[in-house]
Amino acid sequence: MFKILRDLLRYNREFAIGFVLTLGIFLFALAHFWAPMPDSAIYLLPPDMPPSAQYWFGTTSRGQDVLWQMSSAIWNTMLFGITVTILSRLLAVAVGMISGYLGGKWDEALMTLNDTMIALPNIPILLLVYFVMRDSMSWPVLAATAALLGWNYDARLIRSVTLSLRTREFTRHAVFAGMSVPQILIRQHLPYVMPVIFFTAMNNLIWAIGLEVTLSVLGFSDINRPTIGGMIYWANQHQAIIAGIWWWIAFPIVAIVLLFLGLFLLAISVNEYIDPRSRLSRMGV
Amino acid sequence: MLDLVKTPVATDDVLKVEGLKAYYQMNYFGVRREVRAVDDVTLTIKRNEIYGIAGESSSGKSSLIKTIAGAITPPLRVVEGSVKFDFGGETLDVYGEPQRMKGARWQNLSYIMQGSMNVLNPVRKVKHAFHDFAFRHMGLSEREFRAKVEQHLKRIGLDPRVLESFPHQLSGGMRQRLTIALATVCEPDFIIADEPTTALDVLVQQDVLALIKDIQQRMGASIIFVTHDMTVHAAISDRIGIVYAGRLVEEGPTLDVFQRPQHPYTAHLIASLPRLGDKTRRSALPGKPPNLADPPSGCRFHPRCPLAIDKCKSGNPPLENRLSGRVACWRAGEVVAA
Repeated sequence: MFKILRDLLRYNREFAIGFVLTLGIFLFALAHFWAPMPDSAIYLLPPDMPPSAQYWFGTTSRGQDVLWQMSSAIWNTMLFGITVTILSRLLAVAVGMISGYLGGKWDEALMTLNDTMIALPNIPILLLVYFVMRDSMSWPVLAATAALLGWNYDARLIRSVTLSLRTREFTRHAVFAGMSVPQILIRQHLPYVMPVIFFTAMNNLIWAIGLEVTLSVLGFSDINRPTIGGMIYWANQHQAIIAGIWWWIAFPIVAIVLLFLGLFLLAISVNEYIDPRSRLSRMGV
Repeated sequence: MLDLVKTPVATDDVLKVEGLKAYYQMNYFGVRREVRAVDDVTLTIKRNEIYGIAGESSSGKSSLIKTIAGAITPPLRVVEGSVKFDFGGETLDVYGEPQRMKGARWQNLSYIMQGSMNVLNPVRKVKHAFHDFAFRHMGLSEREFRAKVEQHLKRIGLDPRVLESFPHQLSGGMRQRLTIALATVCEPDFIIADEPTTALDVLVQQDVLALIKDIQQRMGASIIFVTHDMTVHAAISDRIGIVYAGRLVEEGPTLDVFQRPQHPYTAHLIASLPRLGDKTRRSALPGKPPNLADPPSGCRFHPRCPLAIDKCKSGNPPLENRLSGRVACWRAGEVVAA
């Protein structure tokens, strides 16, 4: 594992940049556990202080330190994104592989459901869920809803890969040797589908974070829980741009752009590495 | 090619196929189609025997052995007949007892598939293939299993280090050997080999044939060996069966079939082979193999047959004993190869 990491850092520049960016942002987010004040406290500090030696990223109009707010915000946003990604990957892999391998009635039923979900617009549904569940709305509920909306394109993609795998010789061989359907799917096909899962996971993570930011900027989330979108929401509420409090908006945006960039670079470089056939040639070893 | 190794004494019958009919039955948008890929095949294979099946492309060779192996999926269905194996005194009806059949696969009956260069999963190491396919059939501990596989690979002439490689790191010949190793590691009683050497060059092909023959003789297994390459049959098969348009048209000991073909189709097949020093032009049969969705009446070979008479158009000739083999032709034995 460490050897793989070392090789990747040494030979793959995209990976090195992506890794450093993502790790840096992750460590920054991790720091919120040691924050000097709780992230929900307001008016503890003098408001509207520009970036200085004391307040590195300035303070907000609500008397919070932008540095520590951002640290919590990135943590919460990433947590949301990763939850959505894991849940939606489970759905996408299960639906895609079952539908592709079993075919027939299973395929018809699952793909009808899948195509219906693709046709549904995401944002209006999330807003509807938010208004219906307003009182009991918490981030896990929102994450589950987003996950239910975020698996369908990738399920189709995984299905297409499985469709080709089921006609390969090694599948016929495995069937002949008496492997059961779950064994074939998990042991024979899953490793092949893995790069697809990995790449779509990265895309899905970026999509989920974007979705969280969108909803929070509009105020359709738990506004007392700091997130990147939530910070921008509060900055807008206090008309930070008109008041010239640029640091309240600029730093969260810079953070999210760096995070997107890091994840994207990781996605493309790790994807190249994970496929054993192209590993050596692409890494230039 | 190889020397014709002396045929071991064949004893009792391992495989009995009786009146087997397997059709591709399709029903798309209300249009029913039926392709008679295996039509009324009866054959027996003895213990310790290599039985070759020959025939041109689309004659139903692969469908026949898939049906024998019980490895068919719809739309191919068995319409009539039975396939019975005899593994160590126990009779196993392939289509009568699917559950027992499952247990016997790989243990008693293994399959070297067509295009077997691609049998290995490209994204997993070779050792996993052995583990997945053979481990549970052998009842050994992990360590014993590994030792057994390594020993088996060494016998076959492969370095056990290949277990730690991915398939793309191996050459075609090595992969072919590996798939043979995979099919024989459980020491099955019966091996079905579907064109195992077709993708190889002649030198590697010779090695692989020698390997298959060697394994077969050491384990005392029976093999059904399918290929369209008659020279391979000459090298390896004890008996051959000629398949034309889904039917077995001739069967007999290899040497006899080559020297005294009884069926006009066999005669042409053998006459078309190049011979050392013979520079005359090889003639080809006119026409194409028939469409199996709409086969000709009577003998399916009659539209292309130089000896065809009226009887051939109406009556389907039965497969009857003649000399040392069996042949399905109204004018059997009258053959003079063109």
